[in-house]
Amino acid sequence: MDALVLCLLLSAYPLGCPGLTPPAQLPQPHNLPPAPGSNGSHRSLSVDLPMALRVFSVDYHHVQAPFEIVLWIMLASLAKLGFHWSGRVPAVVPESCLLIMVGLLVGGVIYGVRHSAPPTLSAEAFFLFLLPPIVLDAGYFLPGRLFFENLGTILWYAVLGTLWNVLGIGVSLYGVCLLAHSSLGDVSLLHCLLFGSLIAAVDPVAVLSVFQEMHVNEQLHILVFGESLLNDAVTVVLYKLFESFLRLPSVSGLDVLLGGCRVVVVGLGGLFVGLFFGLVAALTSRFTSRAQVIAPLFVFLYSYLSYLTSEMLHLSGIMAIVTCAVTMKQYVEANVSERSNTSIQYFLKMWSSVSETLIFIFLGVSTIQDVHMWSWPFVCSTLLLCLVWRATGVLLLTAVVNKLRRNAVTFRDQFIIAYGGLRGAICFSLVFLIDDFPKKRLFITTTIVVILFTVFVQGMTIKPLVELLDVKRKKRALPTVSEEIHSRLIDHLLAGIEDVVGYWGQHYWKDKFEQFNKKYLRRFLIREERQARSSILRVYQELERREQRGDEEAPPLVDPRSNSRPLLPEEMDSIRRILSRNLHNFNKRQTPAYSRHTLHQDATMDRTRKPLHRHQSLGDRYTYNTITHWPQVEDVEFNGSHKLRAGLSRSHTVCSISPRHVLQDTSAPVSTAQTAPADPRSSSATADQVSPQHQTPGGRGPKKQLSFDLESEKK
Amino acid sequence: MGSRASTLLREEEIEEIKKETGFSHSQITRLYSRFTSLDKGENGTLSREDFQRIPELAINPLGDRIINAFFPEGEDQVNFRGFMRTLAHFRPIEDNEKNKNSSASEPLNSRTNKLLFAFRLYDLDRDDKISRDELLQVLRMMVGVNISDEQLGSIADRTIQEADTNGDNSISFNEFIKVPPVDGEQDY
Repeated sequence: MDALVLCLLLSAYPLGCPGLTPPAQLPQPHNLPPAPGSNGSHRSLSVDLPMALRVFSVDYHHVQAPFEIVLWIMLASLAKLGFHWSGRVPAVVPESCLLIMVGLLVGGVIYGVRHSAPPTLSAEAFFLFLLPPIVLDAGYFLPGRLFFENLGTILWYAVLGTLWNVLGIGVSLYGVCLLAHSSLGDVSLLHCLLFGSLIAAVDPVAVLSVFQEMHVNEQLHILVFGESLLNDAVTVVLYKLFESFLRLPSVSGLDVLLGGCRVVVVGLGGLFVGLFFGLVAALTSRFTSRAQVIAPLFVFLYSYLSYLTSEMLHLSGIMAIVTCAVTMKQYVEANVSERSNTSIQYFLKMWSSVSETLIFIFLGVSTIQDVHMWSWPFVCSTLLLCLVWRATGVLLLTAVVNKLRRNAVTFRDQFIIAYGGLRGAICFSLVFLIDDFPKKRLFITTTIVVILFTVFVQGMTIKPLVELLDVKRKKRALPTVSEEIHSRLIDHLLAGIEDVVGYWGQHYWKDKFEQFNKKYLRRFLIREERQARSSILRVYQELERREQRGDEEAPPLVDPRSNSRPLLPEEMDSIRRILSRNLHNFNKRQTPAYSRHTLHQDATMDRTRKPLHRHQSLGDRYTYNTITHWPQVEDVEFNGSHKLRAGLSRSHTVCSISPRHVLQDTSAPVSTAQTAPADPRSSSATADQVSPQHQTPGGRGPKKQLSFDLESEKK
Repeated sequence: MGSRASTLLREEEIEEIKKETGFSHSQITRLYSRFTSLDKGENGTLSREDFQRIPELAINPLGDRIINAFFPEGEDQVNFRGFMRTLAHFRPIEDNEKNKNSSASEPLNSRTNKLLFAFRLYDLDRDDKISRDELLQVLRMMVGVNISDEQLGSIADRTIQEADTNGDNSISFNEFIKVPPVDGEQDY
């Protein structure tokens, strides 16, 4: 559907791949000579066979538009494949950089062949087709609890931080223009503010793609990511505001006040539109049991509809689509079959991947243009000011917000937030949408430079710089084994006490919402049979999800030694490695919860794999589960799948790739890994609690496996 | 919510708890509302099942032991006083308390008492020593089934080796508190 409209848009820019012969026209049945067209593309090739039927002919024009679109997408995907094939390059150079370079290359080629500017990324295409899938994907996989816990901080950074940046950059740029009066004199304050508003926007696409490679803890990830999502409301509103101010003859204080109200209206309006569509989508999914195949379609249709509706009403489309995704997720997942769930997740990943790749490639291509206007003072000062204002903004805001937060945002985190404020395609599209004025080309050039700078320089150096910061902290001696163990114990202890006490303050609202959810929403929006879900079952699913987030690699080989002699340094190292990989780190989670390339929260795989073996009181179920569920393991290859599969062979000390060989070996070590549950009382208590609840929803496919296993284990 | 809680908890009780544990008035009322929300049976005491209903505690590797720590020896129910007494171990050390050395006995939330609490998580049989087996059990809980018994055994031996100063192949409380924890215990 959107491909069709996309092709209509793109066909406005004749792409033309070099090297193709001009298309020939199929001969008319009654042998009329071909009509002379204005461009050469309609004339047929050598005319010497007027009467005979052509056996072989090429009609490029007929398929031109879709063909070229497919070629672009193919180029993007092949480039992506290529990067992941080479192991080390993605670690050093973030994918976005590589894609932009490919785009530059292609753009250069096209320019060289056609001697005119290659097609640029149309702002409409970007906002209507390329951006929604990415934001939808981000919203659907948003770690909800973490997001809402940090919502205050995120809003603080998003709204106030963006305002600070916009005003700061705008005003100081105006100062620079005044100083360099000779070359930049005709840039007014409003223009500078307008430019500031679009250049201050931190881009979720770029941020995500860089954070992929870095291991940041979840809290930091959600802060930066949430901020980049939410600052859209502020950015776009300010942009439109300044643009409309530019059109007004004069600006009064009342207009500024109205502008402020508008920010709130846009943000909240987007939120409500998203809520509405999310609830409707949840309700619709309730009735899809007879037509399961089209159930995923509703997810996409409703989200896209919410985006378009809010764009139509000049509200924030990104807020709408994120809210829609977050709202409908839990109900849709409950209502829809396992396979539909998997389809939804896979399609989301696929589309957002393609979108992101296309965006970056087009960024590269569009850089090669005729319309550049360069001005050293403007460009350099913009770059500098962006960095400076963001850094000061983050520092100031954090100083205030740390007093109100439980987990302070450390200096390292602040550095990452400030330095990780990458600009991307949103700025790029916004700058193209400015009404024409003499210095527009300067703005375009500057925007491109800033984007390239942030993506390349900041993107590539952020990881080494962070590691440098970490190393500085780690100058003291490596902890001894007992220190690690004891500190981990204390961690768990504190986490447990935290959970007993409940989170003060936020817990009240969360409780209230959960009650409301249970009483009304779930009953209304979820199908009858699926409603009986005890909290234990939800814990079970949470276990699975956390399992996927935990470290999946198999431990290295370590020879057991006798107790008496002191251990060699290599053995200490291997012990330390084992500990660091295996001691559960539930509380300071290090891996990103969101990943563009893999489905970390793969619900289907989870339910067929039963990764409960880590939980102590359910430890003895491991034997039973791995052996029975082996046949259900599908040999699905996707990025990181070897990790998941190796996870099943955990009791092995050797990492294995294919499930086949491990099957025979699994039975032996598993028996040695049998652990006596520390507290037999609690394990039977948990089992008792789970099984009776499970009698009822034993209906559908995988759920049947679920209940079957639990019940038989009880026996 | 707040008003309902304080009518069930009398002022004198709050004062007593305040004196014993050092929590402030608002903290006590908030903890009381948490206590009542956990107490599904509404009989004024918590049982083990009430604790196990907390989802995050169920996936905490030390969840069972933490729950056990709330219940005094041999009992199956804990009332609000006992609940508060256990939680008092984790109250953050206020700055003004660090200077006070007037109280005869150490406050419940001193560093030593916190470490004693952690020590008791290891030491199930309360003989004031962490034996190799007890250490192994806790390690196994924290580490999962990923590691073979031999590897775990060597880790446990190494731990005991590092901490044991008097050579009895187990860790006493005095040896335990000498191990400085990484990152410090967070003043919770």
